[in-house]
Amino acid sequence: MQRTSSPLPAQTGTPALKARTFECMGTVISLTMPVGMAAEGQPRLDELAAATAVVERLFRELDETFSLYRPDSEASRLARGELTLRAASAQMRERYAEAHEWRLRTEGAFTPERPDGVLDLSGLVKGHAIREAGTSLLALGRRDWCLNAGGDVLVSGSPRPGSTEPWKAGIVDPADRRTLITGYALGAGGQHAALATSGSAERGEHIWRLGGGTEFVQVTVAAADIVTADVLATAIVSGGTPMLNLAADTWDVAVLAIRADGSMLATPAFRHA
Amino acid sequence: MKIRGLAAAAFASAGILLAGWQAGTQVSGISTVATGTTATGTTGATGTGASGTGSSTASGSSGTTGSSGTSGTTGSSSSSGSSGSTASGTYKGTAVQTRFGPVQVQITVANGKITDVTALQLTNTDGKSIQISNRAAPLLRSEALAAQSAGIKTISGATVTSNAYLTSLQAAIDAAHL
Repeated sequence: MQRTSSPLPAQTGTPALKARTFECMGTVISLTMPVGMAAEGQPRLDELAAATAVVERLFRELDETFSLYRPDSEASRLARGELTLRAASAQMRERYAEAHEWRLRTEGAFTPERPDGVLDLSGLVKGHAIREAGTSLLALGRRDWCLNAGGDVLVSGSPRPGSTEPWKAGIVDPADRRTLITGYALGAGGQHAALATSGSAERGEHIWRLGGGTEFVQVTVAAADIVTADVLATAIVSGGTPMLNLAADTWDVAVLAIRADGSMLATPAFRHA
Repeated sequence: MKIRGLAAAAFASAGILLAGWQAGTQVSGISTVATGTTATGTTGATGTGASGTGSSTASGSSGTTGSSGTSGTTGSSSSSGSSGSTASGTYKGTAVQTRFGPVQVQITVANGKITDVTALQLTNTDGKSIQISNRAAPLLRSEALAAQSAGIKTISGATVTSNAYLTSLQAAIDAAHL
């Protein structure tokens, strides 16, 4: 069958969503933007490529500093005791201070140290990278975008620029990654621009669990910023229902928590989603 | 007299309930220094002043209960002061500051018994009070699926490894947007 050109031109004022991806921090990062014709004032495809390059450079620089998988990283030298925190770089100390603050706020459910005492900021670094990338995209003048780093999402604006259409995120079923459990609307003037999911479904037991921390296999948190969403999702997997209640009472967040038997707990925003 | 005492006691318990509602989560295993939330929780226990709006008999005696249980003020009395055990109506405590903004506990009394305790947020914008609670409750899969309509633009799940990405829903969405 011969392909014919559409009788209606594509430039109907609704730019098409375009995505670019790159690999970093052991996962894949996707940047999605509505891309239109230059005359419509929308970013063009090469501008998406430029924005992706900025985000990728930022992720790579942070990975080089904070990755425990790289023997030559500053984090690895700290872990081996070759470097003290006092002598570490300013950004290393800033992230450590931020992680420590979260440990206090979550009453220990989130912690920057592994059980063996090694400093491990990986629970914070990806969220930090997403936050910094978002700041850079806004500084570049990009208002409408969706950044997804391995299942943690930060959005700005709308997939249809100028509209109130939200970026709708689907939440994966931990029992079957090919299906969704529900959706959640992000951005477009709503209260939450960030969504993070933690659990043991993908990377095994990479979350250090507290005593009661085998309750949830997957926890999704929506918040105004990605670090809060990411840290609290990790903390609730680790701390179970008490931490879920602390999070719901203390922060402006929406939470969806799934137990091993498939039963779910959800705050009102997820119940009326 | 009985009713005023009852109301004061009720507000004290309602205040404690609010404190529990806020501070009840402070029991998660690890013993580190608690932060701000405990402070707002305990202030709830002092919210005991009353401004009765029900049809209670307003005798001005003060109920001395547990915390600073001073009785309130303007009860708009309408019923006769015959029996103290038949008080009905809704009563509000004094506002306390929480992360939701100023919050007031409201109790509903029917025939002298508290039938309901709710936390109200006092919005400054329109003066209306709305019921608040962000607590998680059970969600059925069928309810959740109702929200899963079309238009999904991105996928959130536990961290996808580079290898797992290839077969993920996000990869399919990204491929559609290439």
